[in-house]
Amino acid sequence: MNELLLGAFGALLVLGAGATILEHDPYKKIISLSVLIGGAIPFIVDRGLLDVATAVALIAPLSTIFILMAVRRAAP
Amino acid sequence: MNPEFVLGLFLILAGTVSVAFPRRKDYITRLINLEIPAWGLLLLMLSYNEALALLTFGAVTALTVYIFVRVIQKREGDA
Amino acid sequence: MEVITTQEIAILVCAAIGVISAVRVIAERNTMKKLPFLNVLSFAIAGSLALLLPDPLTILAAAAYFVGTTLESNAIASSYAGGPKNDE
Repeated sequence: MNELLLGAFGALLVLGAGATILEHDPYKKIISLSVLIGGAIPFIVDRGLLDVATAVALIAPLSTIFILMAVRRAAP
Repeated sequence: MNPEFVLGLFLILAGTVSVAFPRRKDYITRLINLEIPAWGLLLLMLSYNEALALLTFGAVTALTVYIFVRVIQKREGDA
Repeated sequence: MEVITTQEIAILVCAAIGVISAVRVIAERNTMKKLPFLNVLSFAIAGSLALLLPDPLTILAAAAYFVGTTLESNAIASSYAGGPKNDE
């Protein structure tokens, strides 16, 4: 991975983390958390751990759906 | 000091501060903010090339989130 | 000035689209208008995952990420659109 790609995915990580911390609405926080996950997956693929990347990419939306179960009960 | 180590350390520090002192004192805000140190710890494990630790941590994180959601629903149902 | 090959141009375009759509996701104020930009971001990340390593197993990770993030975005959209209606 060269420096431009590293800067791009690092910027995705930092932007997603900052937006997740600073938002108020739970739905907007979950959307920003999805930006953070999209920045973190290419680092796993770049190390060559492709099985781990597949497993994490399938498990991470499951975790988000679990959070969404609590948000739907409490937010309205 | 590869970039995964630095980014994971930044995510752990920022996420831990945001879980301890959230903007809204709410269960769901803390639960969503708790995902940020989890991804930071995952990147930190990635910088040491621990494949088995990554798999186990990814599976256990989803299970932990499920248990927290059940606890929060039970607590909100009582109140 | 080093030589940039065609594959590097493709992955750089994918990463640039990802960064621009991430900025637009964060700058948008309406929650429903955030979701198409989130889809653009996940398509860009899936494309850049497929181009990152010269390995035939990479396409499996990209497909898994694509399926997972589409499912997640659909869950957020349906829960946001029909969530308060279910309670009454």
